[in-house]
Amino acid sequence: MSLVTTLWSMEAAAALTLAVLYGVVWIVDRRTLANLTLCVVAIAMAGAARTEVGMMHAGTVAEYADWVRLCYLPLTLALVGQVVFVDQYLGTGRRWLLWTIISLRLAILAGNFLTYPAFAWRALVSLRHVPFLGEQVAVIGAVELSPLQWLSVASNVLIIFFVADAALRLWRRGSAEEQRRALVAGGGVGVPLVVTIIYAQSVMLGVAPLPLLVTPSFLITMIVMAVELSRGFLLYRQTQQELEELRSELTRAGRVTALGQLATALAHELSQPLGAILRNAEAAEIHLNSPAPDLEELRAIVSDIRKDDRRAGDVIEQMRALIKRRTLEMNPLALNELVQDVMSLVHSDAVARHVALDCVVAPGLPLVSGDRVHLSQVLLNLVMNGMDAIQTSPGSNKRVLIEARPQEEGKVEVAVTDSGPGVPPEVIARVFDPFYTTKSGGLGMGLPISRTIIEAHGGRLWAERAPSGRGLTFRFTLSEAQGAAS
Amino acid sequence: MSGPGVVYVVDDDPSFRTALTRMLTATGLSVQSYASAGELLKHLSNDEDTPGPGCVLADLCMPGLDGLQLQEACTEASVGLPFVFLTGQGDVPSAVSAMRQGAVDFLDKCAPQHTLLAAVGRALERDADARALRARHEQLGRRFAALTEREREVLEEVVHGKMNKQIAAVLGIHERTVKLHRSAITSKLGVRSVAELTTLVSQAGLFEVPRQPCP
Repeated sequence: MSLVTTLWSMEAAAALTLAVLYGVVWIVDRRTLANLTLCVVAIAMAGAARTEVGMMHAGTVAEYADWVRLCYLPLTLALVGQVVFVDQYLGTGRRWLLWTIISLRLAILAGNFLTYPAFAWRALVSLRHVPFLGEQVAVIGAVELSPLQWLSVASNVLIIFFVADAALRLWRRGSAEEQRRALVAGGGVGVPLVVTIIYAQSVMLGVAPLPLLVTPSFLITMIVMAVELSRGFLLYRQTQQELEELRSELTRAGRVTALGQLATALAHELSQPLGAILRNAEAAEIHLNSPAPDLEELRAIVSDIRKDDRRAGDVIEQMRALIKRRTLEMNPLALNELVQDVMSLVHSDAVARHVALDCVVAPGLPLVSGDRVHLSQVLLNLVMNGMDAIQTSPGSNKRVLIEARPQEEGKVEVAVTDSGPGVPPEVIARVFDPFYTTKSGGLGMGLPISRTIIEAHGGRLWAERAPSGRGLTFRFTLSEAQGAAS
Repeated sequence: MSGPGVVYVVDDDPSFRTALTRMLTATGLSVQSYASAGELLKHLSNDEDTPGPGCVLADLCMPGLDGLQLQEACTEASVGLPFVFLTGQGDVPSAVSAMRQGAVDFLDKCAPQHTLLAAVGRALERDADARALRARHEQLGRRFAALTEREREVLEEVVHGKMNKQIAAVLGIHERTVKLHRSAITSKLGVRSVAELTTLVSQAGLFEVPRQPCP
């Protein structure tokens, strides 16, 4: 087999392999159009390689002309693929120029198949044979070019201008990564294109008696494109790991944020027992300074001080447990205690915002299996969301209801319903998306984190329109604790 | 402590309310405590006559009516009790609003004892002063009410510094009659000099009163 056939076949095979690879990548992830452009350019490369071999091995003028005519198809694909790649990859290309180039090239392609032998050629007069890679190959002997060929040249000049302009604009933005991309696109796409045009023009104008080739320089372009796009895959693993760390940080941040909202309420919650302790101590002091201290009263005071101290300690303990970063600790839990915990945490906030907080826990509810702190966080988040939802509506009936009831066997369902204005279905569908928020100060992580926690418990968390038709209900399910009865 | 008076403690937290009541009682104050604004309002409206001297020491943040709403309700019911607010959180807008409505003070629940007692003392003093002022006004009002219409006309001219002759001319009466009116006025009001008379009139804020009958 001749060296030309071998090399060009290898080239086509390599190009097709790349085309399949990036075609699959694009089908899996449609967001990156650049992957599709590489697939198109690679297919075009394989096609161009075939037409080049056809030309070089042509026996007659007519055969050569047929291959020239045919080579416009892969050429158009390759050029359009390259400009779209540059546009996607640099993001600084002029759109009107892009569309002008694409329309021009498509017009040339259409014109090519309406004329004979080819768009820019009036007639192919003769062939000649020259030595090339150890064999005699057919090259153009004499050709009559049509004036339209300058339109073809003009379109190529436009392409070079488009690439150079986009690269220059990105370069001027100044960051190292942007300048690197500008260089890659300018050098990897622009320079081979310039070389190709000059070479093809020289051949067609009879300056150089060489085969009409585009694939060698376009091969460079294709390799540059492939290397650049594969950087994305190389970075993927690293990104994945960073994402995992970020997610775990966010879970904690979400808790801290929820506590931030509660900070004032908690301050109030602490000031009650602390204030009571202080006043009791002052009262005791006055009694002790009297000539006949009332011992009964003093005993009552001391007992109250102890009680309030425990109360303050409980508040701090709850807060500390919420802030700590920790893994799930599954224990049998009584839901009514969990609900009471959360109710006491948000009590002052609810009072300050004039929200009635109610809870209905079905009697005889079985213990559930779960992590007390994480589940408190979920419930806290849902109740706070409910109160926020009410806040935005001026309605007089501000109410948040927590319900817990047994569901089908082995499951318990908890529902948090607010009497707010409710939300349209398209928003309900999005509330669990990370960073989706309707609150000005919201991070948009509360609900995604809550859902992660419930799913880690083997349950489900979802939102729906409240049964009353007003407001929103969040429901989640938990599993009954094994072998435990309340 | 300052003058007599009842401290009305209003707080929804039973243990803080008990402790506060205990401490205030131990210092010798007379204290009545209520678990909600509604309870206090009910008590105040149940009283046969206007509530006695005192002040209100209320939690700002309570379920139902909060402290500020209680203050508003008292103002509307013309219960002139001074307010001292207690709060668990330093809430600037509420503080501003409370002070604008005439609150005596706005304190943290954990404020030092002397600060709290001083605030309560000031509130009771303010109530006592207000009551004394109201009593004096009422008393003066009664004394001025004893004057006849003509005597008031003469009084107005007198405090404007007119001579008997001028007054007689303005009112179209005899100078001797003016003198008689003047001695009636001084004896009814229990004053001895024109200077004393002027002071009394300005204290009572009654400059406008003698003018009304003769526009």
